[in-house]
Amino acid sequence: MIIFLLRRLFLLGTVLLGLSIFAFSLGYLFPGDPLQNFTGLRYIDSAQREQLIQAYQLDQSYTTQYVAFLTRVLQGDWGLSFSSQQPLLNEIWQVLPATLELTTYALLLSFFIGVPLGILAAMKPNHLFCKSISGMALVGYSLPIFWWALLLIMLFSVTLGWLPSGGRLGVLYEIPTLTGFMLVDILLSNTHYQDAALMDAFRHLILPTLVLATYPTTVMIRFVRDAMLDVWEQNYIKTAKAKGLNRLQVLYRHGLRNALLPVIRQIGLQFSTLITLAMLTEVIFSWPGIGRWLIDSIYQRNFPAIQAGLMIISTLVITINMLTEIMHTFFNPLARKY
Amino acid sequence: MAKFRLYLDENNRSPLAQLWREFSRQHSALFGLILFSTFLSLSVLAPFITPHDPYLQADNLLLLAPSWTEQGLVQYPFGTDDLGRDLLSRMLKGTTYTFGLALLTVLASLLAGLALGALAGMSRGVKSSFFNHLLDLILTIPSLLLAIIIVAVLGPGLENTAWAVILALLPQFVHGIRNAIAEQLKQDYVTAYRLDGANNWQVLTRLIIPNIWEKITVLSSMALSTAILDIAALGFLGLGAQAPIAEWGAMISDSLDIIYVAPVSVAIPGLLIFAAVLSVNLVGDGLKVAIQKRRES
Amino acid sequence: MNKLGIFALFSALSLSACQPEQPETIRTGLVYCAEGPPENFNPQRVTSGTTIDIVSQQLYDRLLDIDANTGNLLPALATAWQRSADGMTYDFTLRQDVAFHHTHFFKPTRPLVADDIVFTFNRIMDPTHPYHFLGGGIYPYFQSVDWANLVNKVTAIAEDKVRFELNRPDSSFLANLATDFAPVLSAEYAASLLAEGQPQRLDTQPIGTGPFHFKEYQKDVLVRLYRHPTYWRGPAAMEQLVFDIVPNNARRMAKLLTHECDIVAFPRLAELSLITERPDVKVQESTNMNVGFWAFNTKKSPFDQVKVRQALALAINQSAILQAVYFNQATAAKGILPPTSWAFDQQLPAANYDPAQARALLAEVGLSQGFSMDIWAMPVQRLYNPNALKMAELIQADLAQIGVTANIVSYEWNTFRRKLTDGEHDSVLIGWAADNADPDNFFRPLLSCAAADSGSNRAQWCDPVFDQLLHQALSTGEQQQRLGYYITAQQYLHQQKPLVAIAHSQRFQAINVNVEGVSVNPYGGIALFGARRITP
Repeated sequence: MIIFLLRRLFLLGTVLLGLSIFAFSLGYLFPGDPLQNFTGLRYIDSAQREQLIQAYQLDQSYTTQYVAFLTRVLQGDWGLSFSSQQPLLNEIWQVLPATLELTTYALLLSFFIGVPLGILAAMKPNHLFCKSISGMALVGYSLPIFWWALLLIMLFSVTLGWLPSGGRLGVLYEIPTLTGFMLVDILLSNTHYQDAALMDAFRHLILPTLVLATYPTTVMIRFVRDAMLDVWEQNYIKTAKAKGLNRLQVLYRHGLRNALLPVIRQIGLQFSTLITLAMLTEVIFSWPGIGRWLIDSIYQRNFPAIQAGLMIISTLVITINMLTEIMHTFFNPLARKY
Repeated sequence: MAKFRLYLDENNRSPLAQLWREFSRQHSALFGLILFSTFLSLSVLAPFITPHDPYLQADNLLLLAPSWTEQGLVQYPFGTDDLGRDLLSRMLKGTTYTFGLALLTVLASLLAGLALGALAGMSRGVKSSFFNHLLDLILTIPSLLLAIIIVAVLGPGLENTAWAVILALLPQFVHGIRNAIAEQLKQDYVTAYRLDGANNWQVLTRLIIPNIWEKITVLSSMALSTAILDIAALGFLGLGAQAPIAEWGAMISDSLDIIYVAPVSVAIPGLLIFAAVLSVNLVGDGLKVAIQKRRES
Repeated sequence: MNKLGIFALFSALSLSACQPEQPETIRTGLVYCAEGPPENFNPQRVTSGTTIDIVSQQLYDRLLDIDANTGNLLPALATAWQRSADGMTYDFTLRQDVAFHHTHFFKPTRPLVADDIVFTFNRIMDPTHPYHFLGGGIYPYFQSVDWANLVNKVTAIAEDKVRFELNRPDSSFLANLATDFAPVLSAEYAASLLAEGQPQRLDTQPIGTGPFHFKEYQKDVLVRLYRHPTYWRGPAAMEQLVFDIVPNNARRMAKLLTHECDIVAFPRLAELSLITERPDVKVQESTNMNVGFWAFNTKKSPFDQVKVRQALALAINQSAILQAVYFNQATAAKGILPPTSWAFDQQLPAANYDPAQARALLAEVGLSQGFSMDIWAMPVQRLYNPNALKMAELIQADLAQIGVTANIVSYEWNTFRRKLTDGEHDSVLIGWAADNADPDNFFRPLLSCAAADSGSNRAQWCDPVFDQLLHQALSTGEQQQRLGYYITAQQYLHQQKPLVAIAHSQRFQAINVNVEGVSVNPYGGIALFGARRITP
């Protein structure tokens, strides 16, 4: 196990290193002046330029420049945003929690809906109800989520007027940002409209969470169903049935435990899918998260921000995947082969 | 047709015929195949069958309602957009861009993946193992994110989108093909063929490829649905096809402005994307089941 | 998938959504959905109507105001003013006890005095002023009217009296002081920021005397203002004012229909009929002095040739644009001046659509095989151009008829404006909304040489003949004489075509029926001082 851990950490280190090299090279790959791309300063006069070239060691070899870049990244100096001239790391900390909040809820939703439905679909594969679950999973799997989001907004916001069409909270509620997680912030704030704000934030969450959860839920249903069907064919299940256990007992004692192990791994994979789909969802629902921020930065040709956004998202995705894989291996000795 | 048969001749048919038999037993898969073929032929024929020029702006026919309403015209079944362009023609033209381009990117990515996968699969040792793990990790980055990253570097545009999708699909092809090859290499008949004096190239082309094509087809169908969704999503975000190109995703974002006046112009491109992806998924699922059933029989 | 659950959830929510009791915060607050973010919070430094709408009338006051109906000047921070006989000196008497904003970041110790006026205007004209170069020394509006050369000196002659000394008489001087670009800043705040070493905060955390004070700006998300309790006109009706930044037109519309916004800037003209059918929303229409145009970068080839510009002007189908982009809710433009202006030249011919003639003109300058050009289309909806991208697509198709290949270019709004000022474009679809009733407000900011330097001259056009005409018109106080110069200027523009004027639009506002008292000045931004919620 320890050797396995070390290997994985080594791999993680290598990938992150590769990622940082890629991010560094972006400074040169992007159009424009590399110095501007690295610093994020829009106007640089010649005196300042000399000084900055010294500080960023841009007159040195690429290796030295890269080391300087890495040092800056590790020290938290990620440069400025072209558009706002604010430190990028600050901006990222402002938008990241919104995305994490949304993805967490969507992940939970997909887990708590997807797993039971997947099991149901596997129990009686030929029953009409189960077939319709599988059918709906296929539909959800094929939906372009940006279009799906528009349909829901048109129906529930514009036509029925039940839910707000976007944003995290009615703009008239002023909640100070402490953690960046809206529900937590509202609970921590001591305003007289706490209850109303909480309800409002909740209503703002429904549509985006639902849209974001659609795809992972269907993947989860299909995955759990296939895993269950697979397990159901195994000899130990047949043995258990032969022993005279009833369906539920077999399902609980033998089926679930074996079928749900791979789901742990799946959660990690789903998270990265969610982060990506969150970009689309955030754009449509004006959700002030990192996805929208990154897309806006691409529109604005805000190269330092694109660079920083890519670094943070990729690192997040890769690290979480690595963690779930390690967890999966921890619970499942069979996966420890290599 | 009902004819008495003494022997079941099923197992004597060619694998392809068996596969088709299993496949055609599933109604949903057949339906998917019909839909898929329709899209395929449309994407090729689109330039010849559009009733109007998809880019022609008819000044006198702005925001024409669909023909099923009272104000509609029969010549414009879906009506026109806010520049007076025929929506039906634009939808048809969009098949070429969204569906056709997705198909091309998958083909390109498949070819590249085949070459790299074969290279990786035929080699062994620490390097290969490390490469494999590396690929595993890159695979965890969703293709849309990869595509967005690549477009962010290359800049927006339809051509760059194609490159981005090709590159973004590549890891899953390399990974899938590498694993399939590695599995084949363990088989006894490979060892036997090698003992006959076959070299790597012969093993690859005569034994392995014919044995993994099914797997490749399934991989491609999954990649195709991803490619369609990615191209449309990039178009929608304004990072892919740029106006006035009649790409479905870009058309949705274009028509957002008139969603209240002409909901059809948003509804139909979305429905088409959905139908295209669904057809691919139905065919893919059908193939998977058919392959499994054939193996079992 | 899980329909039952979703429906259970929704029915539960729909119950809660219909709750009759609205929280206090909602009832005392007003949400204005803006089409873009403000560039900064100092109108002196900007040209865009987006910023003006959000900032000018809400946070600041000016020395003078303009009467919305007559276009006459009204007292504001100045209660009286006197012009010397030679027209070279103006004395202003300031209003007593005008309080500056009292906020979490600044506590004023004194009311408005003459020093504040001196500080405000010296910042614009004096290069040695500590704040002059804060934003790169760019004051587009003032540079376009050649302010630095016009005004010699601003001095405080008493606690409540301030004197402007000019270098030459200028008939548009007072009108310029009344524009939304001429707010009065606090000298005391500026001094305290300088002492703290934070001068840049003057334009990002503003202090003014207006009806609302600044609370926070979440970049590209919202601007939050609160009521200024000691406002000299009396406190505003609404306690809180939020500018929700929603660049997407469809989403802004959705927010109006879901009542997330009380006021929506620039509803799409296509949807006007749709909105008017709804009982909960009303549409407010007001006349506005503006022009949407297509400007050529005359510093670049081949747009430096008059014949090329004339050819391009002939190639576009103005009536098609009016129909497709403005839904016929605008007047076809003959020149940059709207027909409602007193200086409008009645003799100007209507725009002519003649592709054959255009091709012939191109052939004359050896461009019969056509060429390729960029059309920059602004990414946001503005009064004078509700959909520049769509207009660009129309023009693109028109230009293809004469063999010109057009590429449509667009960036995010702030980037767009920056690159435009740098003159990177070939041609651009943009426009101008007037800030005062003076015709000079169209000519000089848009087409003078001074404006070419400051960047608000999108055609980068600098023509001594034209500049001379403008100068002559300004130095005379006689209206009939001015009219003569302006008519000549319009004829000259018609022939030179540095830009093609397309339309003069009405200004529309979609407002929740529960909101009243929103006023829109035809010469500037929206004023929300009087806005209030009424219970139906």
